[in-house]
Amino acid sequence: MKSIELNSASKFQSSSRKASASPIKRLLWPSIIFVALVTQIPFLVTIYYSFLDWNLMRPDKGAKFVWFANFKAIFTGAEFYTVLGNTFILTACTLLLCLVFGLGLALLMNRDFLGKGLLRTIFVAPFFVMPAVSGIIWKTAILNPNFGITAYFAGLMGQDAVDFLGSYPLQTIIALVSWQWIPFFMLIILAGLQSVPKDAMEAGMIDGASIFQRFIYVVLPHLLRYIEVAMLLGLLFIMQTFGEIYVTTSGGPGYSSTNLPFYVYRVGFKGWDIGGASAIGVVIVIITLLLLKYLFKFLRRTFRGELS
Amino acid sequence: MKKLLAGLLTICTYLAAFIYFFPLLWMFITGFKNEGEAVIMPPSIFFSPTLDNYKIVWGSGIGTFLGNSAIIVVISTILSLILGVSAAYALSMFRMKKADDVLFWFISTKMLPAVGVIIPVYIIFKKLGLLDSHFALIILYTAMNIPLAVWMMRSFFNDIPYEIIESTQVDGATGLQGFFKVTLPLVKPGVISTGLLCFVFAWNEFLFGVNLTYTDSSTMPVFMASFMTQEGLFWGKMSAVATTAVLPSIILGWFTQKQLVQGLTMGAVKG
Repeated sequence: MKSIELNSASKFQSSSRKASASPIKRLLWPSIIFVALVTQIPFLVTIYYSFLDWNLMRPDKGAKFVWFANFKAIFTGAEFYTVLGNTFILTACTLLLCLVFGLGLALLMNRDFLGKGLLRTIFVAPFFVMPAVSGIIWKTAILNPNFGITAYFAGLMGQDAVDFLGSYPLQTIIALVSWQWIPFFMLIILAGLQSVPKDAMEAGMIDGASIFQRFIYVVLPHLLRYIEVAMLLGLLFIMQTFGEIYVTTSGGPGYSSTNLPFYVYRVGFKGWDIGGASAIGVVIVIITLLLLKYLFKFLRRTFRGELS
Repeated sequence: MKKLLAGLLTICTYLAAFIYFFPLLWMFITGFKNEGEAVIMPPSIFFSPTLDNYKIVWGSGIGTFLGNSAIIVVISTILSLILGVSAAYALSMFRMKKADDVLFWFISTKMLPAVGVIIPVYIIFKKLGLLDSHFALIILYTAMNIPLAVWMMRSFFNDIPYEIIESTQVDGATGLQGFFKVTLPLVKPGVISTGLLCFVFAWNEFLFGVNLTYTDSSTMPVFMASFMTQEGLFWGKMSAVATTAVLPSIILGWFTQKQLVQGLTMGAVKG
């Protein structure tokens, strides 16, 4: 009942807003044009380039139109499938770790204790550290097999130091990216925890529900929306991981820690194969679009707030 | 019993925070060690702190890169705020289906991977002779942050009761006057935190920075990466540079964390 009233009120609002706002509408165009020019037009060019045989290292050969030869080369090469698998593993594992630890930390932080604000500030810090630097800190201070902290602890336990980035490159990058994104999940989930309706909790308490039952039946359903937001934004950004890989493993050994964005970099800016790199770029965008199409309904619901 | 459990949980939380923050703490501490002390095994906790690393790296021209970062990031942040706030205002005034489509379009541009455009962007700037220029990164970072600014600002504008905006128009002021005199001051905290967030994202951006600049216009993250390859063994100096690079974004980030969550979840959860 209440929601119906709200709806009619906002309908009234939107119609009156509309009446007085026509010159204001024009304020939209500068940003639309700007964003379209910088992000959409170049993508059309990427599609065009993906049909060219064009290597900047061989200016003598120039650019030749070769139809789908670049795509054929990508799909018949073994690296692409390694890279695709890496991207999937990196994204999925990181998201899972972020969800588990983000939820855990949020639950720990959702209590009253001395120094709560300070601790939250401390937890959030890694999220604001530039990827290049977090990669460097982990590579040297923590994981360096000679003077890193892990080497010290390995020594204490009488073990040989492990060269994490050499032996487990992808796993290490997953840990590193999770370290950066867990705080983001924690913040969003914490916001969800703090907005759990009090009367529902009290009703549960009166009905004699245990803490665990209250969590499953009252808190979790409310939290789902927040978790969705965190997962969605996390997915889109974590899929684009680049800086951490650049400074730690450079995608190696071989292709074992190369993900799709880094693959474009290797082909385009190391091999200067413009056609090939563009083709991979097109493939990545297509994969993202398919993913978005799959998530589309859910996305629209989320971003339009139809969930509440 | 309950009190004991709560106390234990609190201790666990403190311990988790310490472990979580440790890499950053260690970097910060190492910046004040001399090079020998920085790589000593077992790691030293008690040492006589020195500012030598900072003196050396500050003397070696790190200022140029900090300056590049500052110029590029500040200008792009101002541009994304101007464009983003005006678009968000328009969107918030038109709460109809089309407005949702526009907002969704903005968000979707943010979802498409940057590597999908990096090759043509590189070629275009190369042809224009704008590789390694401030201009190239300013344009890219502005476009990168506009969707974020639109999304966050729209939810702040939506929070203002419509009667207030309406009253500015009844008084005979034009839409623009009402906007600057009444509406804008009301969302000032939102504008500030959106700006800080744009700053942080642009300050940390790496992909465009590393591929479109070489020496003249390199930003801090790019400088960090090359410093790592050249002098990665000098962990003391490395830590001093790294601390300098991350301090602005961590501090500004701390100021925005509440509004970041508010802006993101309000936009998404409440609509």
